Amino acid sequence: MRDYSIVAEGLVKRYVTRQRKGLFKSTPQVIEALRGVSFKVRRGEVVGLLGPNGAGKTTTVKILATLLIPDEGDAWINGFHVVKDVDDVRRGIGVVFSVEKGFYAKLTGRENLRYFAALYGLSSSEAEKRVEELLRLLELDKLGASDRLFEEYSLGMKARLGLARALLRDPPVLILDEPTLGLDPPSARKIRSLVREMAGNGKTILYTTHNMFEAELVCDKILLIDKGRIIAEGTPGKLKEKVAGKRTIVAHVRGDKMLVSRTIEGLEVEKVSVEESEEGLTVRLLTRSPEEVAGILLRELVARGVEVYTLRIEEPTLEDVFIYFTSGVGHEGTT
Amino acid sequence: MRELLEIIRAEYMFVYGDIIRRKSAFISLLAYPYMLTVFILGIGYGLGGLNTFTEKTGADPLLFYISGSYMMLSIMAVSDDLLWRPDFDHWMGTLPYVLLSPVKRVYRYVAIPLPRLTLVVLLGSTSIVPVFILLHGVSGLVESLAIIAMTIAASLSFIPVSLLIMGLLYRSTGENWRVLNIVRPLIMILLGVYYPRYMMPWVARLITYLIPSSSIIEAVQRLLTSLELDSYSWMLIGLATALTLIYLPIGVRSIVKWEGKLRAAGVKTE
Repeated sequence: MRDYSIVAEGLVKRYVTRQRKGLFKSTPQVIEALRGVSFKVRRGEVVGLLGPNGAGKTTTVKILATLLIPDEGDAWINGFHVVKDVDDVRRGIGVVFSVEKGFYAKLTGRENLRYFAALYGLSSSEAEKRVEELLRLLELDKLGASDRLFEEYSLGMKARLGLARALLRDPPVLILDEPTLGLDPPSARKIRSLVREMAGNGKTILYTTHNMFEAELVCDKILLIDKGRIIAEGTPGKLKEKVAGKRTIVAHVRGDKMLVSRTIEGLEVEKVSVEESEEGLTVRLLTRSPEEVAGILLRELVARGVEVYTLRIEEPTLEDVFIYFTSGVGHEGTT
Repeated sequence: MRELLEIIRAEYMFVYGDIIRRKSAFISLLAYPYMLTVFILGIGYGLGGLNTFTEKTGADPLLFYISGSYMMLSIMAVSDDLLWRPDFDHWMGTLPYVLLSPVKRVYRYVAIPLPRLTLVVLLGSTSIVPVFILLHGVSGLVESLAIIAMTIAASLSFIPVSLLIMGLLYRSTGENWRVLNIVRPLIMILLGVYYPRYMMPWVARLITYLIPSSSIIEAVQRLLTSLELDSYSWMLIGLATALTLIYLPIGVRSIVKWEGKLRAAGVKTE
């Protein structure tokens, strides 16, 4: 336990929602958000919790941040239990949840940080010094944002301010829940480089995302989570070994999703993902015989009237690893 | 103690930063005591005239209502700040970050209403001190200062009651703002500012004895009628102090329980 900053053992969380049947009747419905999540994070490690929407990422980080009590299981941060030693856990963590909100609109960035510094137990002299340091570190002063009202901030500035608040107490553990969600590429790049910089300074970071590319860039180790369970874990390289000897066919097509899915059903492939977007459908197939399958796929799609814009064969990425471990077809949230 | 002072300081910065930058809120805060007094005096004059009021209560209607409005606004500043803060934090998305604070809850919740209360007390005193001096001379200054001190006491003694209501309310319902819109006028009535408690039906009167601020308000009303603080008034102030000290730990416990319930269901982070 001493080598680990974060330990989770058999976390289970069930939410009870009500299924409405008319105005007065409703029946309870139990949703199992976590079904026995266990993992360990070593000191100074950046670990990515990777999974689609609804996989259980946020539920897990809420439990670790003491904002949610698990129904079963235990978790420790810096050796403190997340249910029994709440204040000790809170003193040792910095948290970023939603990037868009989370600050007082009519206060400036500096004032917001000063307010939270007091709330987190810093004296005014400590707070003043720390806030100035963080405004410099996150380059908010360079952007002229320190004395601007939060309501006038761009999303990138908001993300930086969120990170600054998480660092106020200089905590050994950071829990970042999708800190780059919705950011433009330069801002996302800046946040990622800051996270790597903090990891270099010895911080333990738990980083949730559903962006495979980002997870590969930022994290030392990845935990794949799906339907409330950790389905695989390892370094990005090690996870990719799981799909060694296979290659990925990526096709961008326009046509009926059901028709495309039916076309794929007859092919000799191991895993499939069909994703819908405004531009059309993106089909990813993991297979041992890519050239042969690509030829058949193209022929079949064209024969059924599906417009094929691009079709290429790639080395598998982390995204394919994710598809390999999950059900794949029509999976939402894989990007 | 240092922790408490830091929190109070932060709350002053937060509330004043917010109020000054919301022009409509700032203007309404300045205009409210005057508007309320004029409104109530207007209604009273239309219904029965100023002399009728003096005959019934023994107090000068102008002083009675100007003091009443002042006390009401001060107490409502406390109650509004506390009762609405969790919802405000929820709307701002700051609630999870606020809950993550390891600072003692009693410090935080005592600090929350102080900045607005200070502002209301200071601004409101400009509406009552000149009127008392104008009508009663130098002794009017002493009376108005006594009323200001008692208003501060009545407002502070409402903190534990607000915490109690807040904890119960947020634990039991998801639509807090709807219930708060009902609770607010109820509080206004039960304080006995405009409708003195000795004129209330016995059930309502009994409830008012459980509210510390109502006792201090009755002491102020007796001061306005007899121009002195008699032994009964001091007893009322003692009762209010005792109730405040009893309610404070219960109020804080009520908040801690609400936080526990929030954690069981999961604090919203989006």
